[in-house]
Amino acid sequence: MSESQTTHTSYYTYAWKQFRSHKPALVSLYVLAVLVVIAILAPVIANEKPLYVRYHGETFYPALSWKKQFVIEGENGKKEIIQPDIAEWKRMSFEKVIWAPIPYSPEKTDRLNSGYKSPQDEQLFMRADGNIVPMPSRFRHIMGTNSLGEDVLSGLIHGTRVSLSIGCISMSIAALLGILLGAAAGYFGDTRLRTTRGRFWSTIFGIAVGWFYGFQVRAFVLRDALSGREGNFLLAIGLSLIILVSCILAFSFLGKWLGKLPVLRTQVHIPVDNIVSRTIEILHAMPTFVLILTVAAIARPSLTNVMIIIGLTSWTGIARLVRAELLRIRGLEYIQAARSLGFGEWEIIFRHALPNAIAPALVSIAFGIASAILTESSLSFLGIGVPSDTVTWGSLVNDGRQQFNAWWLVVFPGIAIFMTVTMYNLIGEAMRDAFDPRQKK
Amino acid sequence: MSRYLLKRIFIFIPTLLVIILLAFIISVKAPGDPLDRMVTAQDGVTDQSSLSWNAQLEKDRWRTKLGLDLPVFYFSITNAATPDTLYRIYDKRLRETSKRLIQAYGNWEEISAYQTSIQELAKQVELTEEELKKYTDTATTLLYRDTVNETFFQVQALKYAYSDATIRSLLQRIRSLSGQHPVMHPIYLAIEQTQSNWTDVVENSQTIKRYIPTIHFYRNNQFHRWVFGDGNWLTAKGAVNTKGIIRGDFGYSYQTKLPVHQVIGDRMRWSLFFSLISVCLAYIISIPLGIRAAAKRNSVFDRTSSVILFVLYSMPTFWVATLLLMGFANPLTIQAFPASGVEPMTGIPEGTSWLQTIAIRIPYLILPTISYTYAQLAFLSRITRVSMLETLSQDYVRTAQAKGLSQFRVIYVHAFRNALLPLITVFSNIFPAAIGGSVILETIFGIPGMGQHIFQAIYSNDYPVIITVFTLTGVLTLVGYLIADILYAIADPRITFSKK
Repeated sequence: MSESQTTHTSYYTYAWKQFRSHKPALVSLYVLAVLVVIAILAPVIANEKPLYVRYHGETFYPALSWKKQFVIEGENGKKEIIQPDIAEWKRMSFEKVIWAPIPYSPEKTDRLNSGYKSPQDEQLFMRADGNIVPMPSRFRHIMGTNSLGEDVLSGLIHGTRVSLSIGCISMSIAALLGILLGAAAGYFGDTRLRTTRGRFWSTIFGIAVGWFYGFQVRAFVLRDALSGREGNFLLAIGLSLIILVSCILAFSFLGKWLGKLPVLRTQVHIPVDNIVSRTIEILHAMPTFVLILTVAAIARPSLTNVMIIIGLTSWTGIARLVRAELLRIRGLEYIQAARSLGFGEWEIIFRHALPNAIAPALVSIAFGIASAILTESSLSFLGIGVPSDTVTWGSLVNDGRQQFNAWWLVVFPGIAIFMTVTMYNLIGEAMRDAFDPRQKK
Repeated sequence: MSRYLLKRIFIFIPTLLVIILLAFIISVKAPGDPLDRMVTAQDGVTDQSSLSWNAQLEKDRWRTKLGLDLPVFYFSITNAATPDTLYRIYDKRLRETSKRLIQAYGNWEEISAYQTSIQELAKQVELTEEELKKYTDTATTLLYRDTVNETFFQVQALKYAYSDATIRSLLQRIRSLSGQHPVMHPIYLAIEQTQSNWTDVVENSQTIKRYIPTIHFYRNNQFHRWVFGDGNWLTAKGAVNTKGIIRGDFGYSYQTKLPVHQVIGDRMRWSLFFSLISVCLAYIISIPLGIRAAAKRNSVFDRTSSVILFVLYSMPTFWVATLLLMGFANPLTIQAFPASGVEPMTGIPEGTSWLQTIAIRIPYLILPTISYTYAQLAFLSRITRVSMLETLSQDYVRTAQAKGLSQFRVIYVHAFRNALLPLITVFSNIFPAAIGGSVILETIFGIPGMGQHIFQAIYSNDYPVIITVFTLTGVLTLVGYLIADILYAIADPRITFSKK
């Protein structure tokens, strides 16, 4: 017994071992972890506001605080108010101050160094006493500035956030859609999902009703929320979705009873595979980038919108792979065993079939993240979709395109995009090799 | 085979219809009224309220020409309060205001009475303006002229207002303005009327109607007209303005007011040129490269080429293009190539022979061609290598080697044909790619192709062009599939499409 346990390695343990032997991918994984840390800590790493300030005997942590203003009891009882967002921190004299490693925020302009200051150019600095001196090395713009004097390195660090979150969130949406739809299409095919005629039509009716009350009645609420704050729209659309889903559920439940009536008792097939395959075909026959451009241009510029649009258009690859796997798996004996043991269909899909079908989807997700990051940076390069005050890697390259001499605006962000995309591609490739049993040595 | 192809075409028709429908939905839901854009762009009038009578006529003419006076789709599902003739309010903003009012109060009769009274009010204000013109200008009349002017704008604002508070405060404001001069007294009556009508709307609101769904059917609608033309749907008899997409009539571009096919035809040339040339180049270079790498697996050549191709594959196109421009079209470094366009700014002088034309154009084409080609090249070589490796590991190849065939013969005669299949799949994608062009590359290099035009069309809400792009891409995707199927059958005789 104990011997069989030591020799037994699960599929994923084995795959992980294979993956580790692919050195570039392993390095990529580590670098990616570092990037994630940078993305999370971006406001601490690159910030205009100091991390720690001691001023008139009081202690503040401006970079870490959300306070709109600090009130300080100055000398001879005068009150001094500092508004952290607009204060010129570098021109104030503190008793003690600790700056962030890169003491600039991405969208904060440095007027003294505006107009494309290169990394080697002479940069200027205004001291607390108002004198303009050559830049002390602590405050240099290490990777130069753009036309407005925004720090490139700071933009790069904050751009990491944008790129990684776009990649992650949009591919989460795509993975959710792709795995669900692909699994349903592959497992049920065109004939396996059966229901009574009553329940079928009742559910269809429920969709129509849910759409009417969730989206038609609330059309203007949704539209007003869309032009308002981000959170409002998510709330509004969430409520609409809840209405839709509960209508569908209610009518489906009603259908259960309807399905007992004479004519409505007939069994009907739901052609799940056909529906999903046609949808995939439609998305494939559309110019995806033009679609994303069009929708991003119509919708209000926002990162969330870009994520959703990319997610909704890139699930097809995952769905195809999962579908193909499930087509194979559903014929296997253990699935038939599970069915004859009376497990529910969805339980079989999620507990027994999907875990064996997920590997190719994971590979596709890794490549998908790479291409989502590419799409987002192309969009922000064209100036579409991402709000103009958000600094991203793509928008930095676009800045550089306006001024050919400003090589630092093109080279550094470009390398960042290139590296990230390459790392995801490497990881994807190593995963593909690791999951492929034919590669077994 | 032909039966299979026919079946495939048949299956594709509904797909195509859905694509057209999706593009249509996007264009209908997009903000802004195309007519405003079309007509003001022509007359150079920017202010909506000061549209001249002529412009109004022009607008009406285009509205009927484009079919924008029709309901949108075959049916509309609305709440019970919405009348089925709402589409006859042509002003898109006013229509939306009415919808909002219906959604809030649910009593169309009262709302329409209220809106009629606003129209009456607006008319009265205009009359007052006329009346005021008879007065000689003195300091006081000038002042009143301003008052009337302001009243005019307040009434315009009232037209599009939909919240109770805004409407009430606007009415209050108009009332106090109108009290300032005897000339404006006739307005007073209209204001009274509007105010009482509004009170009616608020007091007699029928909330329950908002939650009862109704469906209205329209036989003649914008979508039908778009797809089938305005004549007979099958024979196009009696078509006046458009014959419909199914007969290749894509309507008029909002931006240029020219027929879409005319706009696109010009642009297509460049996109087609670049995608064809880059695909040909990519295939010519990548196939030998991939085969060589596969044949000498794990050699130095294989390893270096793999790394280089992997790097190329991951480089974002817009970055490479920008770097190329920075490096080779930059007066500060090397200015070997022009920075944008496909010909000199002054154009190609007349009377140049076509050989000279090519000579003039070549420097303009080199950098774009590189940018177009490199990513495809990398992609194709990697595919070729992988598929070749797979084929080479098969038994029949070993047999061929064992019976003493030369390596060249084994690879190019026996293995290559089987390794072709994945390359065919890629080949079928170039047709749809040609129509979309490359938005990014064409924008960067200033190539007057489809991609650049699409980008402009998106910015200027030129939806007929965008729908056309969607439709044509769909059709070309189908063509690509069909060609791929035929090529599969040629490359691999084992593939047949007839059922046994």
